[in-house]
Amino acid sequence: MWTEDGLAFWAEVSGPSPTTRNTPGPTAITRFPELPSSEESPERATAEEGPESTALGTRPGPAAFEEGAEKAAVRREVKPAAGKRAGRAGRSVPVHPFAVDAAEVAAVLGLDDAPARELELLLPGSPRQPVPSPETGRAADTTRPRLRPWRVPAVVVAPVAALTVPAAHPGTATMRHWAAVSAFAHDLVRRGRVVPQLVPALPPAPTERGAGMWAVWRPVVTGVDAAYFRELALAMPPACRACGGERPSGEVLRAALEAFADAYVRRTLTEPLVARPRTTADRWLAALTGDAPACPDVPELRRQLEEWYAAVAASEGATRLCLRLLEPTDTDADADADSDSGGDGWRVELALQAADDPSLYVPAATIWSGEAPAVLPGSPERDLLAGLGRAVRLYPELDRALRTARPSELTLDTAGAFAFLRQSAPLLQAAGFGVQLPRWAGRTRLGLKLTTRTRTQSQAAASQGFGLRELVDFRVDLAVGDETISEEELAELARLKVPLVRVRGQWVELEDRQLKAALRAVESGRVGQAAAGDLLRAVVGSGDDDELPLLEVDADGVLGDLLSGQAERRLTPLPTPSGLDATLRPYQERGLAWLSFLSELGLGGVLADDMGLGKTVTTLALLVHERADAPTLLVCPMSLVGNWQREAARFAPGLRVYVHHGSGRDAAEIERADLVITTYGTAQRDLETLSRHAWRRVVCDEAQAIKNSGTLQARAVRSIQAGTRLALTGTPVENHLAELWSIMEFANPGLLGPRARFRSRFQEPIEARQDEQAAAALRRATGPFILRRVKTDKSVISDLPEKLEIKEWCPLTPEQATLYQAVVDDMLAKIDSSEGIERRGLVLSAMARLKQVCNHPAHLLKDGSRLAGRSGKLARLEQLSEEILAEGEKALLFTQYAEFGAMLQPYLAERLDRPVLWLHGGLPKKTRDRLVDRFQNDPEPMLFVLSLKAAGVGLNLTAASHVVHVDRWWNPAVEDQATDRAYRIGQRKNVQVRKLICAGTLEERVDEMIERKKALAERVVGTGEEWLTDLSTDELREVFRLTAEGVR
Amino acid sequence: MPDWYDSPGPIRVEGGLRARTQRGSIGSTWWSRRFVDILERVCDRGRLSRGRSYARQGQVRTIDLSPGEVVASVQGSRPDPYEVVIRIEAYGEKRWAAVEESIAQQAVHRAKLLAGEMPPEIEEVFAAMGLDLFPRDLDMECSCPDWGFPCKHLSAVLYLLAESFDDDPFLVLAWRGRTRAQLLGSLAGEPADDPLHVPDVPFADRLADFYSPGATAHRQERRPAAATGLLLRVFPPPAGLASTLAPAYERLADA
Repeated sequence: MWTEDGLAFWAEVSGPSPTTRNTPGPTAITRFPELPSSEESPERATAEEGPESTALGTRPGPAAFEEGAEKAAVRREVKPAAGKRAGRAGRSVPVHPFAVDAAEVAAVLGLDDAPARELELLLPGSPRQPVPSPETGRAADTTRPRLRPWRVPAVVVAPVAALTVPAAHPGTATMRHWAAVSAFAHDLVRRGRVVPQLVPALPPAPTERGAGMWAVWRPVVTGVDAAYFRELALAMPPACRACGGERPSGEVLRAALEAFADAYVRRTLTEPLVARPRTTADRWLAALTGDAPACPDVPELRRQLEEWYAAVAASEGATRLCLRLLEPTDTDADADADSDSGGDGWRVELALQAADDPSLYVPAATIWSGEAPAVLPGSPERDLLAGLGRAVRLYPELDRALRTARPSELTLDTAGAFAFLRQSAPLLQAAGFGVQLPRWAGRTRLGLKLTTRTRTQSQAAASQGFGLRELVDFRVDLAVGDETISEEELAELARLKVPLVRVRGQWVELEDRQLKAALRAVESGRVGQAAAGDLLRAVVGSGDDDELPLLEVDADGVLGDLLSGQAERRLTPLPTPSGLDATLRPYQERGLAWLSFLSELGLGGVLADDMGLGKTVTTLALLVHERADAPTLLVCPMSLVGNWQREAARFAPGLRVYVHHGSGRDAAEIERADLVITTYGTAQRDLETLSRHAWRRVVCDEAQAIKNSGTLQARAVRSIQAGTRLALTGTPVENHLAELWSIMEFANPGLLGPRARFRSRFQEPIEARQDEQAAAALRRATGPFILRRVKTDKSVISDLPEKLEIKEWCPLTPEQATLYQAVVDDMLAKIDSSEGIERRGLVLSAMARLKQVCNHPAHLLKDGSRLAGRSGKLARLEQLSEEILAEGEKALLFTQYAEFGAMLQPYLAERLDRPVLWLHGGLPKKTRDRLVDRFQNDPEPMLFVLSLKAAGVGLNLTAASHVVHVDRWWNPAVEDQATDRAYRIGQRKNVQVRKLICAGTLEERVDEMIERKKALAERVVGTGEEWLTDLSTDELREVFRLTAEGVR
Repeated sequence: MPDWYDSPGPIRVEGGLRARTQRGSIGSTWWSRRFVDILERVCDRGRLSRGRSYARQGQVRTIDLSPGEVVASVQGSRPDPYEVVIRIEAYGEKRWAAVEESIAQQAVHRAKLLAGEMPPEIEEVFAAMGLDLFPRDLDMECSCPDWGFPCKHLSAVLYLLAESFDDDPFLVLAWRGRTRAQLLGSLAGEPADDPLHVPDVPFADRLADFYSPGATAHRQERRPAAATGLLLRVFPPPAGLASTLAPAYERLADA
């Protein structure tokens, strides 16, 4: 919450009823807590909160908001509203009944000596209590809330002490919002986008000499930053601006950003700017650092600083100056000429660009002719001239262009063009000017080309026994772009001594040191023989050479297949092996061929296909295809063991599968198995046992689990010796370079070199500088070993059905299993002595409770307890959501229980740090429409949790490419109807539908029944879940029985 | 200098114009440098610095600059302040029209004027027409009975004037008869709309999702953080602050 005096935090009690909070566990089974009764006394609620407020920020706990000190202009405007502040508001304003004591909030946040204060917040609610924030897990006591003021105890913190507090406690949406604001301020300061100012202090300081004013650092928010500012303001939860009434989000954000930015600068500048202040102006300078901003007024200085700020702030308004480098348009380009100096005739075209739409690009010439499109905002002539006046300070060369009345371009010679490319362009760009360079800039360079040829005539595929030890001929040439050049040509280039040359029609930036390196390279050996494996390593390691990068590789045979990174397409697809109880899709056949090819070469691979493309079945096909003597060890997260087991049984019934997990595990079984499934945890614990076996291969599923190379699990899995390695991951590894190294280190140890070198050679250049060349080198190094197909690939999409249905089996946690058993026992005990309507009621209620257990213990207990780590289904849902979001897509998550949806939304929003929307029956139509509109039109990947009943029909949510049925409504028609929100017939878009099923529970058994008699089910099940109540007690026992394998 | 007349010292002025710089010299920009050159011809450095200490005490009550004339009021030891007048030639419409036409020939003038800078080339424009931008001589007088010339009242005003030119180059042009706005004509127009303005969804429409974000704020693409001092280079700070602030901006990169 933002107030006027400093950052302030407050919190709400979590859980539906404070008395039963955080008492989960099997013992609670006998009493199902009710929803909170509204007569709960406020005193009690607060008193009960106690130490449990540790939940704040990390789990569905109390909401927390801050406020920050406002300075400068905004503060002044707010002052008149101060009368509304709590404390002065009088007794008529009620106390928030579920607000947490300020001292506790301070303790949770680690803000020990922060002063407490009472705020008056405008919150929606009933006359008795405000609507709780979603993170509390409590339900509102009204469906028609109204805005009322509430008194709330809060902790007030000066901005400098609170910079990192929100990010450290991201448990609520409001805290995450302030964390984003703080990060934005931090970013502005790091980029030097602040200007020191002299502003009236608030509250007005005593009039004595030397006080009354403040020295502050004010952030400059223009251009792209202004766009982000507006988005942040629009995103601001209303609760962040409800202190003392409904305040404009722009004003609140501006005040917060100013306070944060000032605090960040003060945190950074530890040395004073003047040693011994003598003048009043010096005292202002001195007050720009340290804790005390107070200083005397210097009206003249203040005015100048204000003008300065205004000039900076107005600079990047609706349009910005753009400079575009154009190559000479010589019509006599001679493609056959070895090279030419390029001559002169380079130009920098001057133009204006709309700040919010860079594609709106208007050349100066057009502006001068008065034909600028009317859509161009601002005053084009003025903006163009003012931009030029500023740009010339950074790029003095520009002055020449300004010697005409209506400048439209700057002519340059080749050296000038090179200087522009290398020096001025980055500078201008950093200063906020638009810069456009030719496509080749920074790309087409002088480098090397490697050609290899196999010595034997048989262009053998790997399966014919060609190994990496075989000798091949190689040759190294100098190349520019994709053209090779001769030594003579090189000598000619060196003679020209110009930094920009044209080689066969292509412009190339040529630096002196590069030329020298090239001359050295041609002197050393360029032709020879080497083992294919050595060349492979040389190519993979070639990113090292900054001066002469390896630009191209032309190889034949196996090496060619590998290095092309196109092995998957070059290889002959392997048809579905007999023994596999499935038909591979064409892209899966190619994937199988690729896996088999690498395996036979003894190389490790990473299969990183999009989720839903069938990595599991492809891997099983590989095992069936090769029929190896030694077993394969598959390591996966616990949540996937059941899935693998069931997929193996279904697709590869001939494989002998042994699950090495749990207390009954027996290493003797390993010898008799083809596939051994284990978890990361067990692999680490049983490392010694597992290491004793000779493995055909080790497979890591959800290889993100080993993304942190230093963890014990990652080390354990890497240390197991095997013929070959395979990593499966659904996350686009190329976006996370540290993880990529880790996964490659598992698949092909040592190939990418030591971690530190990888970091300096690839990670830092690519992540910090978007270095294209390093990125290309990394692609070349890893390309041979990573196969990643995305759903939208042309070669894949045609093979995919429009609607792909997938079942996901999840385990139960021990806590879930205990609760499940208790519910079953309870029901069976009662059911024998009842009949008729009573019996039906018992069965239905037991079924509902079992489904709640499968969802989450907290769903059954309704006690507002923490969610993390207690449900196998939630863990799987989190994994799936993470992958979906990582692929940049949107998903609908359906649940039939509104209360579970209300638990999921804040939890997922925090864990995934992405928007998670929540639609249920209690929302007014306006709000629903806004949510649907946002889901459909916001390009951000996001999740939409929906209550099956509220959203089953009528909504159009075609932006989703995934649908997850979190719990089951055993009525295919209802589920299909919900699925159809995302899927529209005739719309060419692939939708993946997943149904989460807890293994070994009634969820799995009912699902089997439906599958077994699908045709029948349509009729039988058509009416809902009533049919279950007609089953005999024995049948019920069978359906509800918990089988051990589902428990982890 | 016969100082006895004013003793026992001037009457203190409440809210007088005080010299900004308390040490160092004025003339940090080329245009005020040119003005200081003239001053130093008229009165030596010593006199000027005595004027500065007078100015520092805040004895100059007002300075009004209008075309061709600067009128200042300086408080001496007598109850009535002295009047200081400094005149230069204000150019008439005809000559200004010619200057403006000449300025329009090269975009660099307008560009720099719009960017808040006095283009050095502008002097050439005046010179080419046989005009002076900066006066060769100053026609000045003070109503005090002091015999020395220039008296300390005059030199205090000259000092403050030079300082003002340092801060606002357009004063020189205004003295000659054209304000910045007049010179830039239509180009000087109104600033654009506030780019930070956001239309809010009223609370009344957010009751059901009061604690949730209303939209997505997309993380911005980061510009290179290599040069934190760029802002100072593109927008030179006023009041001679550049050298003081530059090291601070460098350090911000580590914030």
